[in-house]
Amino acid sequence: MIEHDFPEEFVPIAAELQRLPYLSPSRDFADRVIAGIDRLQPARGAAPAVASRHLELHQGGRQAVVPRRKIGLVRATTKTAAVVGLVAVAAFMFLEIDVLTAILSAAVTQYGFVLAAVGAQAGAMVLGPSTIAYLQSGALEAVLLYLTLAVGMIGGYAAIRTAAHIAKAKAA
Amino acid sequence: MTPKSYTDVSDQQVVVFAQEGREDAYRELIKRYERPVFSLIYRMVRDKETAEDLAQETFIKVLNNIDRYRPEFKFSSWLFKIANNITIDHLRRRQVDTISIEGAPDAVTAERARATAVTITSGTESPLEELESRELGAQIESAIAKLRPEYRACIILRHVEDYSYDEIAEIVKLPLGTVKTYIHRARQELREYLGDLK
Repeated sequence: MIEHDFPEEFVPIAAELQRLPYLSPSRDFADRVIAGIDRLQPARGAAPAVASRHLELHQGGRQAVVPRRKIGLVRATTKTAAVVGLVAVAAFMFLEIDVLTAILSAAVTQYGFVLAAVGAQAGAMVLGPSTIAYLQSGALEAVLLYLTLAVGMIGGYAAIRTAAHIAKAKAA
Repeated sequence: MTPKSYTDVSDQQVVVFAQEGREDAYRELIKRYERPVFSLIYRMVRDKETAEDLAQETFIKVLNNIDRYRPEFKFSSWLFKIANNITIDHLRRRQVDTISIEGAPDAVTAERARATAVTITSGTESPLEELESRELGAQIESAIAKLRPEYRACIILRHVEDYSYDEIAEIVKLPLGTVKTYIHRARQELREYLGDLK
């Protein structure tokens, strides 16, 4: 009981204040609190340690489980490029073979042909064999058709860009 | 050694078990203080959902930092201190005004008012006594709600929780003189609001 350090008029109010009941939170309140306590949630946020560790021998013959070091993608790419470059330089210097030129010319020859074939095939699928034949005949209409297609593509692209820009502005 | 029941175990001892990572000790601390903490916060924010969220935030903060607890202080004082800080921060952010135990201040519909109102129950009184008590309690609650949040915390800690002025000053992080002034003014305002209370 607290000592009375207030005037007599406040006594009934003080008595009522002391009679105020405690209010209860929801029944699952404790569970929600427990779910938020980090040290009681060992699985949450822990790395899958078993899958990413290996044994390493330490000084004194003691073994310890340590996490495997991750090799960065940039680091691996740099290493590979350096190795390939060194091999090419060595081949050029000692065997007098210009490996890079050889690879590039082979690629152009090979893939140029492949690209032409794929392009012709795709064109035939989209436009149809009769259109292709018509275009190949060199008629004036063919030029107009090419122009119409180009204008249509550019117009369509511009319309899509404009619509995207409007949508972005509205979303913002 | 682990107790089968925490009934006769002091707060300090339960905290030691909690520091060892025992879930039952955490639950015991929640069980002991969920109602006082929730009541204090509810009487300051006047919204059940908000009070639950803030009480939850309080317990999570305290129990996640249980290793920092210094046994020379009362655990309940530390808990109320965090609860008060969190609640005052919330009120400053939201500029929440008060007012009715019948529902949240922003309860513009009857449905919302019902959803945010708190049910107060008592097991010992007759229906008439309970009704009178409820009416009186509602008047007191309403009067407390009209006080400034700083006054509310001080008057509740003093008259509901029975804390000394020194302890209240520690909890609300204010000088002792300021606390005494706040409580004095809160009493004056309560007397004005509840003038005809016998």
